[in-house]
Amino acid sequence: MKSFFRMSYPYLLWMAIFIVAPMVMILLYAFTRSGNSMLTFQFTLEHFANFFTDPTFMRVLWTSLRIAFLTTVFCILIGYPAALFIANLPERRQTMMVLLLTLPMWINMLLKTYAWRGILMNFDLESEIKVFIGMVYDFLPYMIIQIHTSIAKMDRELLTAAQDLGANRWKSFTKVTLPLSVPGIISGITLVFLPAVSSFVIPKLLGGGDYVLIGNLIEIYFLTAGDWNFGSAISLIMAVIIIVSMWATKKLDRSAQED
Amino acid sequence: MKKVLTAVLVICLIAMGAAGLAEKKDPVAEYGSDVLNVYNWGEYIDKQVITNFEKEYGVRVNYSLFSSNEEMYTKLLSGASYDVLVPSDYMIERLIREDKLQPLDKDVVTNLDVLTAGVQNMGYDPDNTYSAPYLWQTVGIVYDTTKIDPEAMEEQGFSAFLNPEYKGHVYMYDSERDGFMIALKALGYSANTTDEDELNAAFDWLREMDKAVSPSYVTDEVIDAMANGEKWMALVYSGDAAYILSENEDMGYCTPKEGTNIAVDAMVIPANASNPKLANVFINYILEYDNSLMISEEVGYASTNDQVLNDLSAEGGTYEGNAAYLPRAGYELDEYYNDIPESLRSLYSSMWIKVKLHE
Repeated sequence: MKSFFRMSYPYLLWMAIFIVAPMVMILLYAFTRSGNSMLTFQFTLEHFANFFTDPTFMRVLWTSLRIAFLTTVFCILIGYPAALFIANLPERRQTMMVLLLTLPMWINMLLKTYAWRGILMNFDLESEIKVFIGMVYDFLPYMIIQIHTSIAKMDRELLTAAQDLGANRWKSFTKVTLPLSVPGIISGITLVFLPAVSSFVIPKLLGGGDYVLIGNLIEIYFLTAGDWNFGSAISLIMAVIIIVSMWATKKLDRSAQED
Repeated sequence: MKKVLTAVLVICLIAMGAAGLAEKKDPVAEYGSDVLNVYNWGEYIDKQVITNFEKEYGVRVNYSLFSSNEEMYTKLLSGASYDVLVPSDYMIERLIREDKLQPLDKDVVTNLDVLTAGVQNMGYDPDNTYSAPYLWQTVGIVYDTTKIDPEAMEEQGFSAFLNPEYKGHVYMYDSERDGFMIALKALGYSANTTDEDELNAAFDWLREMDKAVSPSYVTDEVIDAMANGEKWMALVYSGDAAYILSENEDMGYCTPKEGTNIAVDAMVIPANASNPKLANVFINYILEYDNSLMISEEVGYASTNDQVLNDLSAEGGTYEGNAAYLPRAGYELDEYYNDIPESLRSLYSSMWIKVKLHE
């Protein structure tokens, strides 16, 4: 046991350098005033005050949460029937379908988004709709694969049992299949909502200049404004939102399993 | 006897020298390395020039691209090492101030006398100690002459962006610096103001602009869109305008009467360059007539080589009669950008976000 623990040292070192250290730097930047050297910190909460008192930033935050939520909901609505359909195919065709689904993921996301930009340019749509289409397209495979995995490993005999006990197909779906696929839906939500809320390439390429999400805001403050303190503060707010939503989905998962 | 020996030695030396010249030069011996890392704007060169340079000097050029001065600066801050950068004027000012550049070797960069008047004696580097101008441009308005009368356009200048008659037919370039520049110029202030009242007035002007013409905020996609005549007017860089005008003869170019920004992109050598010797050779090479001609002809931005500039815009030149190619020089109200003080950069950004989000 002890020797196993020792094997994790390289990993711990890796985490310390590439995850913990950057997080500490973001924390430091977020709570200090700009223009000071690394040796004389002036701690402040003004970046957070500025963020939460500015209606523009609040609107950007709200838009980001809204579009991430809508993307997740649509991914479930489209992805669930698709996953169910695939899970009911013969084994060999299933493997084929999953392969086809993952095929677009082999292509760089930037290329796919540029392609969508070319397609959507011909339509007079609201920026938000364009971004929404791009996001649902990009994140849908993650949702389908997660749900498919949880349905596929379900014991088929349960459905036969439900039907023997007099449940019709709808009833056996709502009482057996759906509850057993909840863990899949929840990990799908994690894989879709989290990247969607922080995505910045898709809104940048599909939404045009007047569509700003929180990811774009961070980019603007780091690159254009060169204000790493405020940029770090926004990143930190973002991180807190992500941690809270992960905790919430975990909680959901647990209560679903207890049922 | 001694004399004869000396003569023989001298002849030997000359012969060796001649043999050395005839032989292919060894770049590693001469420059320390045969690799040159160049970091330039996207779509800003004729690739053939790079290929020619590689052949002529027996070296390899790693050519990478950036899309904004700030992106380049952040990359440089993160410790990346390049031999030649091509930032704009205000960014060079910042790099010089922060000691991030090394002086050009004037024994190697001997072509600086080809520079046209418009890019000589620049405020950020008056004696070209650190920088050699690459291409230059003005910011102006491309417009559809079948929709907007040229006389009316010249009469309005930047205030055309407040004209509700053009609502829904306007592209605004998504750059906070250029956005604020047109507002400040329209209000009669300097584009380099640090006065917060003037910046606030410009902010109000831009919000009015957003309401009056509901522009689409775009970046490089504006080039193809205007070449296709999709909207009536757009804020563009003159080099892009030169391309648009050559693609679509209905398009006109206006350098607004209120004065505008003249921008110079210049080649510099960062302090941490690993091959500064070859970098100097490269910079001098680009300034040469043939190479500057190929680059300017390909991208449409104005050459900094005076003779190239004249030849391309004169009769028989590629840009003959193209209103956008030759930048307006010597107009009193035109300004170069200074670096914005750090304390104002966040203000610029947050105001520009508010303009774009219609608040």
